Amino acid sequence: MRIKTLLVFTPILLVGLLVQAYFWVPTYEDQIAGDAQRLRKFVEASIGDAKLLNPALHADSASGKIVDKVFDTLLDLDENLQLRGRLATHWQLTETAYLQILPGASLARGVLSDAPTLVAALRGAMDDGTIDVPPDLLTDIQILPARTLNLVVSDAADSEVQEQLLVNAPPRLQFTLRRVDQTFFSRLRPVLGDNYQQQADSSDWHRPVPDAFLQSLRAQLPVFEHNPEIEFELRRGVRFHDGHLFDAGDVKFTYEAIMNPRNLSPRTSDFEPIKSITTLGSHKLRVVYKRLFSPAVMAWAAMGILPEHLLNDAALVQEMDARDLAETARAAFGLRDSQFNRKPVGTGPFRFAAWQSDEMVHLRRFDDYWDGPPIYHEYFFRIIPDTLTREVEFRTGAADSYNPEPYQVARYRDDDRYRVYSSPSSGYTYIGYNNRRPLFSNPRVRRALGMALNIDEIIKYVLYGEGERTTGPYPKTSNFYATQTAAVPYDPEGALRLLRELGWVRNADGWLEKDGQIFEFNLITNNGNQKRRNILSIAQDAWKRIGVKCNTQVFEWAVFLQDFVNPGDFDAVVLGWQLGIDADLFQLWHSSQTGANQLNFVGYVNPRADRLMEDIRREYDPQRQTALAQQLHQLVAEDQPYTFLYAPRKNEVLDPKIVMVADDGRLEPLRADRRGELYYFFSRWRKLAHTPQF
Amino acid sequence: MGAYLLRNLCQRLVLLIIVSFLVHALVHLAPGEPAEVDPNNPRFKPEDVAKIRAAFHLDEPLHVQYALWIRDLLNGELKSFKDGQPVLPKIWERFLNSLPLFVCATLIVWTLSFPTGIHAAVRRGSNYDRTTTFIAYALISVPGFFLSYLVILWVVNTFGVPVIGMRTFGAENASLWFRSMDSLWHLVVPSLMLAVAGVAILSRYVRSQMLEVIGQDYVRTARAKGLDSDAVIYSHALRNALLPFVTMFGLMLPELISGAVIIEQIFAWPGIGRLSFDAILARDYPVVLTVTLIAAVITLAGTFLSDILYAVVDPRIRLS
Repeated sequence: MRIKTLLVFTPILLVGLLVQAYFWVPTYEDQIAGDAQRLRKFVEASIGDAKLLNPALHADSASGKIVDKVFDTLLDLDENLQLRGRLATHWQLTETAYLQILPGASLARGVLSDAPTLVAALRGAMDDGTIDVPPDLLTDIQILPARTLNLVVSDAADSEVQEQLLVNAPPRLQFTLRRVDQTFFSRLRPVLGDNYQQQADSSDWHRPVPDAFLQSLRAQLPVFEHNPEIEFELRRGVRFHDGHLFDAGDVKFTYEAIMNPRNLSPRTSDFEPIKSITTLGSHKLRVVYKRLFSPAVMAWAAMGILPEHLLNDAALVQEMDARDLAETARAAFGLRDSQFNRKPVGTGPFRFAAWQSDEMVHLRRFDDYWDGPPIYHEYFFRIIPDTLTREVEFRTGAADSYNPEPYQVARYRDDDRYRVYSSPSSGYTYIGYNNRRPLFSNPRVRRALGMALNIDEIIKYVLYGEGERTTGPYPKTSNFYATQTAAVPYDPEGALRLLRELGWVRNADGWLEKDGQIFEFNLITNNGNQKRRNILSIAQDAWKRIGVKCNTQVFEWAVFLQDFVNPGDFDAVVLGWQLGIDADLFQLWHSSQTGANQLNFVGYVNPRADRLMEDIRREYDPQRQTALAQQLHQLVAEDQPYTFLYAPRKNEVLDPKIVMVADDGRLEPLRADRRGELYYFFSRWRKLAHTPQF
Repeated sequence: MGAYLLRNLCQRLVLLIIVSFLVHALVHLAPGEPAEVDPNNPRFKPEDVAKIRAAFHLDEPLHVQYALWIRDLLNGELKSFKDGQPVLPKIWERFLNSLPLFVCATLIVWTLSFPTGIHAAVRRGSNYDRTTTFIAYALISVPGFFLSYLVILWVVNTFGVPVIGMRTFGAENASLWFRSMDSLWHLVVPSLMLAVAGVAILSRYVRSQMLEVIGQDYVRTARAKGLDSDAVIYSHALRNALLPFVTMFGLMLPELISGAVIIEQIFAWPGIGRLSFDAILARDYPVVLTVTLIAAVITLAGTFLSDILYAVVDPRIRLS
């Protein structure tokens, strides 16, 4: 009997205990109405957790969102994508160029004997106008004495094979330039002659070495060398969140932390072109680059500055002691292992408060922020992995914003209680054709295939209208996107006409045929992306209508990359790029990047495009760089190595009570910057108690 | 008994070592690479990838990687690829988050299943029996995530209280009593959802076990003695019907690690299921391997426990 009672009453008791908890929980209304502080908190709902809160190490967008609020960069891009000073108040780009004297080399007139005569010849030519060097460009020419160098040269075929080499290099000329000029040495051509660089022959300067080593030697002793320099003047009186003063040492330390191989920083390639960083006093420093590489300037606009005093060797030793690490762990201990990455300290507008893994990250505003503290007092980054529960939390007011799925956006647009902000994203989806395959080697074939696709319809049905046409390799949000480039029109008849001109005729079965071969290929994409799968079917159907036989297949991501994309073994793929504001597309489109595991996997080769990409990399003048980039955009659009489909729109849904406070105190609706980044003005956002009318 | 236990333990240890081999090989043979080795980042150069691969020992032969893993695991220095944090404290923290969910769901399953199952067996063929059978099969058939969505929407729309996460967001400053009640409430819906299928299945088991036992001769004898029906059912029949559940209890322990991936995902519960799921997606080998190994240890421990319990509960079984 006792057992029966026990069996019946235990579950009743248990359920009773659980359910009574309901009466203690505040309802959503209590939470919002009963809490005046709620207006000062901003809660963002995110799909995933941050990984590492360290600007030198993180590589995911969730960490990026937090890091951008906790850390400051030296520079950043303003509303109109122009560089603007943050921790740096002034910066100046200059250049030091070096010319190796090649004794005995033949010049435009006569033979080069020694440095002083060459300098005299150059100065003379400048004075009489034979050489076009603007007077405001060149400030000084110096003769650097001959030098003895102890170099390590390596075999061109196998970089493991190395040798020490003593080199007696002749004097060099040093030119000090007021701005970076990639054409400087070609300006000197009337004196130096057309093939000065080709006459480099170092055999008299060192003991004989095998030819295989010469390439590595020449790279270390360039005839023409550009060393761009940036001099940063840093903001004074800026403090880290722990009160420590920020100075030039922190910038230098940040650079060293990135380049330290132990830290495995994903940003090394951005900073690798730096030759040296020297601090000139507490708030000034000079960065010298090894070569022309204009994206390196932009790298400072994305790099938060770390506090040296919390992360230098002494601080790490202290942390190791405090954590009482074993000897083996100490040997491998680096920035990556530090607890700093879970409780960062920066100079940014928000300071770190707490991080509960997979639950939330909590930031508080930094009241002493040099640019004025943000209006919000607290920022929460809540992690809610499920799409539907994110919507529930948002609708109940427990979250202030999130990125809705396209199908959810349609619901919010019709609802006055919410406001959807929409902007094109910096990426696009495309169909990439393997340009190496004879079938696709002709740009007109690729264009015809693009003309057969009704891309507007894809945007309408696959993306619920949340996308825009895009025409070429640059993202729509950048100034490099050439707006005058026309999109490929939807014209199946025209596509057929184009293909007929190339010899493709419909056979009895309705397929296009040429030399006994029907037009057939495989279109593949990765599993797990429903939009790409839909595009696969739509494209297959559209091409079938013009008599092109397309077989489709979907592969797991890892297999897709390993077996098809990386080795370049495919006909056509549906894929997408997510890009930043970066003029440099060398790795995506240059003909040198078509090898296995490289990013120009479609094998696009165009010498004109190659030259443009090389020039863009070396061009420091923003206007000229933009003009070159737009040319590149136009050129790639003409060649159609991809069918550029669409740039998806980025959507953010917010409470309409959130507004922006302008400089003069007026309230205005939220707006995004040129990139489409809504959070750009986040520090001016404010939540009102009532929905305002604009 | 002692010799048996020792032998059994040794066998399990050998088994564990074999499992660790297999798990290690399996995880490394699966296609894909750690998310940190990301050749699709336009700025990444092959040298950078090579550097990271070397630091993670990904280029070493598998047996060396295995040895390194075991070494680091044993001296507690195993670090996650993702953030360089030590793996064991990370798993422990998530384990503590999952524990209340597991305990609560288990309590619901085991306390609810027995009375409903026994009652259905005793009243076999009655309306009660038919209804519970129908409900049980309905609950088994409806996907857990779908039911969870319906319940979340219902609770939020009808009662207007939060159900997601481990606590009400923004209520950190409330008193201890409120906070603990709040945490308890946040346990209710997810653990109920986690328990639903368990209750449905286990109560069916209880029913069929009881039916089998009720048909036995000794039950008839007990009835013939004139014992009252409750005593027959609850002391004579139930004891014997309980035997198979001892095994089930031992096998349930590993669910502590693996059970709640979907529920944790839907309810934004920062538990161990989500930790391991994310680790698998990012190919964070140290975390995946360690969680799997811990699951293996718990499974072996669970079956060991049920072996012993079996002997304790049933005097006919001798461990030798």
